Amino acid sequence: MSALPRAAGAAPGASRSIRRRLLRALLLWALVWSSALALAVWLAVREEVDELLDDGLKSAAEELIGPILSAPAALPAVGTTVPALVPALVPAPVPALVPAAAHGVAGVPRFVWQQVAHGQGARLLRQSAGAPLQPLRATPAPGFASLPGWRVYGLALGVDAQMLYVAQSRTERGEALAEIGLAVLLAGLPMGLLGLLWLGTRVRQELAPLQALSERLAAYDPLQPGATLGAAAHEELQPMHQAVDALAARLARRVAQERAFTAHAAHALRTPLAGIDAQLAVALREAPAALQPRLQRVRAAAGRLQRVVAGLLALFRSGVEVQRVVLDLPRLAERLPVEGLVVQAQAGASISADADLITAALLNLLDNALRHGATTVTLSTPGPQLLRVQDDGSGLPAAQRLALQQALDDEDYAGRTGLGLMLADLVARAHGGRLRLPEVEAGFAAELQLGPA
Amino acid sequence: MRLLLLEDDELLGEGLRDFLRADGHVVDWARCLGDIAAYRGESFDAWLVDWQLPDGSGLDWLRGQRRRGDTTPALVLTARDLLADRLQGLDGGADDYLVKPFAPEELVARLRAVCRRSAGSAGARVSFGPVTVDLTARSAWRDGERIDLTAREWAVLEALALRPGRLVAKAELERLVLGFDTVLASNALEVHVSSLRRKLGRELVQTVRGMGYRIGGGAE
Repeated sequence: MSALPRAAGAAPGASRSIRRRLLRALLLWALVWSSALALAVWLAVREEVDELLDDGLKSAAEELIGPILSAPAALPAVGTTVPALVPALVPAPVPALVPAAAHGVAGVPRFVWQQVAHGQGARLLRQSAGAPLQPLRATPAPGFASLPGWRVYGLALGVDAQMLYVAQSRTERGEALAEIGLAVLLAGLPMGLLGLLWLGTRVRQELAPLQALSERLAAYDPLQPGATLGAAAHEELQPMHQAVDALAARLARRVAQERAFTAHAAHALRTPLAGIDAQLAVALREAPAALQPRLQRVRAAAGRLQRVVAGLLALFRSGVEVQRVVLDLPRLAERLPVEGLVVQAQAGASISADADLITAALLNLLDNALRHGATTVTLSTPGPQLLRVQDDGSGLPAAQRLALQQALDDEDYAGRTGLGLMLADLVARAHGGRLRLPEVEAGFAAELQLGPA
Repeated sequence: MRLLLLEDDELLGEGLRDFLRADGHVVDWARCLGDIAAYRGESFDAWLVDWQLPDGSGLDWLRGQRRRGDTTPALVLTARDLLADRLQGLDGGADDYLVKPFAPEELVARLRAVCRRSAGSAGARVSFGPVTVDLTARSAWRDGERIDLTAREWAVLEALALRPGRLVAKAELERLVLGFDTVLASNALEVHVSSLRRKLGRELVQTVRGMGYRIGGGAE
């Protein structure tokens, strides 16, 4: 019987979820990727929208040239607005293309135009309603220009250094860009969320075979003849299946070898021990009275040797499943013959345990009790799956008891515990529990937890 | 009781033989399956069988005996202590199973229990009219008064009490009481039977002339 493996949770990071980590990585990637994409789209859209708006501005200017040149109306005084002129100046199709004085929110015009004469400085000849009262440009400036609050396109009229400036408000352009950006965002966000949900589902589905593999491993008994995990559901898991099967095959071979060795060792050790005891029993009957005490001591020592050997054989027998049966405590106590020790048991008490393993553990605990001056040992079940062995011996100092408990907790027995406690702990662990050494007022107590606490 | 001990280990075999003899039993010791041939047809009260023998399996031999209808009580003595081994041993025809090492005192106690069960009595005491026989205490009472018996007288009484109501041939009873190797006077058995009748009552042991002896028509 080898030491049981530590709990899986003891490994650092063993409790981290692959699914959660993958989803977190996907979410992070989706955020970074969508941000970068949104930025790229935004920059591209803004560029294209600017170009479209500029094209519109330029087209409006070119459309306005004709009406302005063909309507040489009396020029208004410099600095005056000419709202009345606008309908007359702009033929029917022009206002439809570029509203001469279209207004945006809060009364701010979205588009304006100015006819400016550049000679001795800049002189405003005509303008649309809402246009600035000062020339947009101080010097002739054909082409596009960005001014505070306006995007301006200048076109030479070819008459007396006159220029036509058509301008669109920055607010209007910003609104157009915001509307397009919002539309892109509204279209992209649901798609992104749907994509995230789909990826999460896919991750869960792709990791499902791992859960299935865990369940198959839980039910997998490598010591059964022909035991195999079989083909994996996914090709990525096939190497793991093969590795587990190979490991199981090695384990089964090792266990078979150990069983054969234990069977041979058991026969080689147990038979002579039985012979020694039988010979001593005969000698005790035949020997003169003077020799009786000496022979009795030898027989007691032989009995102790038998218990140690039985314990060792149980200890080194691996691959043997715990065969739980309900054991009646008083009957169990009757079958624990230790010379010089009275073994009492709680009336009516019973415990579910492997009879052989528990007997080996108890015999060694009783042997410990005997060596520590006990005359009576009491077996009881103070809790479910809990077997308490308490003696009336000399007991142990608290520090020594705690040191022993620590060694048992660490499963580090070498040089820290005796064979009896080590065997009892291994037997308890083979049942899914552990051995505890509770504080008692007198004597010494050991509690075998024979299942999860 | 007459016992056949099948054990290859000299130390254990000798120790058990001597212990059982000192306990008043007749023991024939076979060291291997080949030695058993010498005891073919012999009657024993119980077999003590080691599982692993140099020339084969004691359990296989026991199975063969059971297949032939022999119901002699059998205890299997073995170093094999796994539950599966014990189940195999008991299913193979053993009436009890003792794992080595064991105290010979426990072997004797189990032997008595097995033989009592085989004789149809779970308790230690069986009664035949006014006579009560305690197979564990190796004692006999008549009308409540304890009667002292010699070892040979007890051996005769025990052999017949373990076969209540069954006719035991004289030759068989001689072997059960005296063993295979012991040679005594030809009328030794009659002497012991006569002595028993004198102490426990003439009606206790019935003689079927030319055939053998019998106690009771069945345990009461």
